[in-house]
Amino acid sequence: MDTTRRTHRALAALTGTACLALLATACTGTNSGGGQDGSAAGQDVNITFWHGWSQDNEVKAIADNVAAFEKLHPNIHVKVVGNIADDKSEQALRAGGDEAPDVVSSFTTDNVGKFCSAGVWADLGPLLQKDGIDPAKTFPAAMLQYSRFQGNQCSLPLLGDAYGLYYNKTAFAAAGITAPPKTFSEFEADAVKLTRAEGDGYQQLGFMPNYHGYESTPTHFLGQYGPSYFGPDGKSDIATDPKVAAMYTWQKALVDKLGGFDKLEKYRTGFGDEFSAKNPFTTGQVAMAIDGEWRTASLAEDKPNFEWATAPFPVPDDQAASYGRGYQTGTIIGIAKGSRKQTASWELVKYLTTDTDAVVSFANAIHNVPSTLAALDSPKLDADANFRTFIGIAKNPNSSTTPASINGGAYQVSMQNLGYEFEAGKQGDLKAGLAATAKEIDAAVQQAK
Amino acid sequence: MALASTPVPAALKAKRRREAARTLAFLSPWLIGFGVFFAYPLISTVYFSFMKYDGFTAPTFNGLKNWDYVLAHYPSFWTGLGNTLWLVLVMVTLRVAFGLGIGLLITKVRTGAGFFRSAFYLPYLAPPVAATMAFAFLLNPGTGPVNHLLGELGLPQPGWFTDPSWSKPALTLLAMWGIGDLMVIFMAALLDVPKEQYEAAELDGAGPWQKFRFVTFPNISPIVMFAVVTGVIQTMQYYTQAIVAGKVASGVIGGSGQQFEPGYPHGSTWTLPQMVYNLGFQRFDTGSACVVAVILFAISMAFTSLLLRRKSGFINED
Amino acid sequence: MTLTSTVRLPARATSAAAKLARRRAALHWVAVHSFAIAAALFFLLPFVFVLLTSVMSDQQALTSDLWPTEWHWGNYAKVWRTPGFLSWWRNTLLYAGAGTLLTILSSVPVAYALAKFRFRGRNLALMAVISMMMLPPQVTVIPMYLFWAKQMHLTGSLWPLIIPMAFGDAFSIFLLRQFLLTIPKEYLEAARIDGCGDLRTLLRVVLPMAKPAIAAVALFQFFYCWNDYFGPQIYSSENAGAWTLSYGLESFKGAHHTNWNLTMAATLLVTAPVLVLFFFAQKAFIEGVTLTGVKG
Repeated sequence: MDTTRRTHRALAALTGTACLALLATACTGTNSGGGQDGSAAGQDVNITFWHGWSQDNEVKAIADNVAAFEKLHPNIHVKVVGNIADDKSEQALRAGGDEAPDVVSSFTTDNVGKFCSAGVWADLGPLLQKDGIDPAKTFPAAMLQYSRFQGNQCSLPLLGDAYGLYYNKTAFAAAGITAPPKTFSEFEADAVKLTRAEGDGYQQLGFMPNYHGYESTPTHFLGQYGPSYFGPDGKSDIATDPKVAAMYTWQKALVDKLGGFDKLEKYRTGFGDEFSAKNPFTTGQVAMAIDGEWRTASLAEDKPNFEWATAPFPVPDDQAASYGRGYQTGTIIGIAKGSRKQTASWELVKYLTTDTDAVVSFANAIHNVPSTLAALDSPKLDADANFRTFIGIAKNPNSSTTPASINGGAYQVSMQNLGYEFEAGKQGDLKAGLAATAKEIDAAVQQAK
Repeated sequence: MALASTPVPAALKAKRRREAARTLAFLSPWLIGFGVFFAYPLISTVYFSFMKYDGFTAPTFNGLKNWDYVLAHYPSFWTGLGNTLWLVLVMVTLRVAFGLGIGLLITKVRTGAGFFRSAFYLPYLAPPVAATMAFAFLLNPGTGPVNHLLGELGLPQPGWFTDPSWSKPALTLLAMWGIGDLMVIFMAALLDVPKEQYEAAELDGAGPWQKFRFVTFPNISPIVMFAVVTGVIQTMQYYTQAIVAGKVASGVIGGSGQQFEPGYPHGSTWTLPQMVYNLGFQRFDTGSACVVAVILFAISMAFTSLLLRRKSGFINED
Repeated sequence: MTLTSTVRLPARATSAAAKLARRRAALHWVAVHSFAIAAALFFLLPFVFVLLTSVMSDQQALTSDLWPTEWHWGNYAKVWRTPGFLSWWRNTLLYAGAGTLLTILSSVPVAYALAKFRFRGRNLALMAVISMMMLPPQVTVIPMYLFWAKQMHLTGSLWPLIIPMAFGDAFSIFLLRQFLLTIPKEYLEAARIDGCGDLRTLLRVVLPMAKPAIAAVALFQFFYCWNDYFGPQIYSSENAGAWTLSYGLESFKGAHHTNWNLTMAATLLVTAPVLVLFFFAQKAFIEGVTLTGVKG
């Protein structure tokens, strides 16, 4: 019996310790960083920069840029760590600690709302102001939109991506199509003309509209409509903005016209990896595709056995005047709020994001769209016509992006899920589906507030 | 309690105290482990399920809001629960049936038994990340060898990990490939069945099926029960294969510039453990993540209690 | 673990019956072994395909070819030269090695107490061990992460993975207890009569007898650490210098998403040590698995 009592006592003691630890956890507050690190006075400062690039040419391009920066600022030493996934850097930033990075870049803009609202990333607004940089005159509008949240400029764009149309010129010629489509009705007609069925599959498909068809996602298509995702009250607008319903309806009609969901889905699941030479556009399985500017580089490398070209993705017939627009997103870079080396970190961020030569050379090296207005106009930019299409899209004032939200890309996942239900015919009532999805998005935003 | 009133000789008391101290000393590493790595985090998980906490700013009390959100406004929760249920019903059943079949087979093999035993056991040892990547390659609908072979044979070629209706069957196939643990357990149990019972059955003119039905199965049914319950509990922890398969099949893995759609394709591989990770370490909604964790805990413990019943034979006494 | 057939041939019989029986036995043999070969193909072909793909060229790995036209063994050297690959190995070995050692040191006394000491609450303790064993790690991961990150400041290192192993691993405790139960009381009593204390009895009498079980537990724990993905993903992955093979392998696929050949070579390199270890310690391993089962 003594044993039992002792065991109980020991357990009680342990539970006590546990509760103390719990309280300590509960008291853990915001990490606060320091501004002055002495770098301005010429002292040696070491900073850590985490990024997600992993391909050899990308890693080299970053290293070249950082080397150029260190030449300009001999007292700032940058330790570059690559191939870090976005979640991981955010996890490290929230955990704080000595190993946490000072400068972080993130591939997805979806999380800007989280970074800014939670205060994980420092607000760059005052720093921009101090150095006399006017963001509106420096960065394209859509890029500014995705790098800030509710007035907090906690990140800056570091190269961007624009989405446009890739088309198979050889297949176009064979089908008697002379120019890339500009409106959705032309696009639909061309897609049908380019589709050659074979048995219960396709010999060639004009376009893969299914939402799992790699880049053919609801938000990318919506870039051609320019919808409003959230109203001024912060509530989801997707059930009330007719553009959103129009997109879902248009995609479903296209699915039906090209053979129906099941047939297309069967064809889609046979596609090779998106980021490989077996991409369905590269292999000729589809004659048109919506894709980002980086594909120009992989196509140049993979050398498909047909002629290809790029153009802006078509627009809805009732918005024909806005042809030239497209969906935009990109990589962002920011400074950890917990970093004690904010001055040196800001120098690096400023150099990477605003120095025209740095931006242009980086863009050329990794085939991304540059992220400043000056760099977009730079004559040093890659002159390849297929790549230039995307520069045009990035400059187009009608181009749009998915806005930052407090809970990251959760609303896009919800919209994507509705898309899967609707295209497969599992959700027949679009209005009800949109209303339910809007409610889901609002609940998630509320939960994150 | 009655013992306390009876006088106990001092020597015996001292001995008991010594024994108690000894027991405590031997148990001490685990007692600390139990407190720090089990009891504390469990209490803390329940605590955080009522808190609003983003892992950065100080937590605040949130009442039942996290629970309300997860259960009433977060449809993905039910998708994940449904998938977990599917895996429990189909994957566990098929694994147990297949493991029993392989166990039966290996007890009948007489030539090259050692080779076959190793061959059947080997896949169980393959690290899950490696095995999943290998299967994502083998079952790749466009370029993998499996669909190539199926095509040669004129059989249908499913989309496997890229098709929402085939992704769970593909995971099940992967789980059946790693059947080694069950094979060994069943093999041992089958060899323990008393030979006399088979002989008696043969004398009664029983065929192979009748022998299995009336001799083998009754003898090994506790092991089958054990395999089913532990299988269910493993399924409650099913994480690595599902997440890696989704990442590899969607092509969104590591630093490719896009966010991974959890449970790719269309939430079909989305399970409760992944939900804890996604909510806690990607959305940084610690409260909701803890709600899911508490639910996961409740389900796991319900099944564990099945094992702990004395009848199950899991706790054999000395 | 001898494999005896359950099909018994009558020792003496008339020649016709014997012939029939022999034919039936032969048919049975053919049927059983055909199934066995089919099953072996199912279990082994994935290894074969992976191996063949791992020596193809980049382009060929993307085709549905099964056989390499050219054998690029250099792929393995390429994988080996991946930045960080060696540190993934070092970290994994450290995690698995230290983890296994600590698990054994901390679990043996606990298992011994649970198996051989009589004390109140013993069953309760055993149930607690089983509950810990069955607990999905995701249930406690959030407080544990906060504990390691905010109190200990040890995330981004291997310590959050290794330190808990010094406090007993539930599965190992359970397995060892199952084995220790089978040691007859008489041995322990004999030791006591010889004047051995509990610790001496454990070290001198019990440990030598428990060697096979300890070997099995060590192997299980080593494999567990080697294969662990969730732990490294949560606790150590935010520092590339602390990545383990399982986590690194996934990122390898990310960095080489077009190169199935290299990915498959890396996959095999990660799997190989486990398979080699298995061949050397097969017996201990299979005995260990059997221990997890119940006595029927």
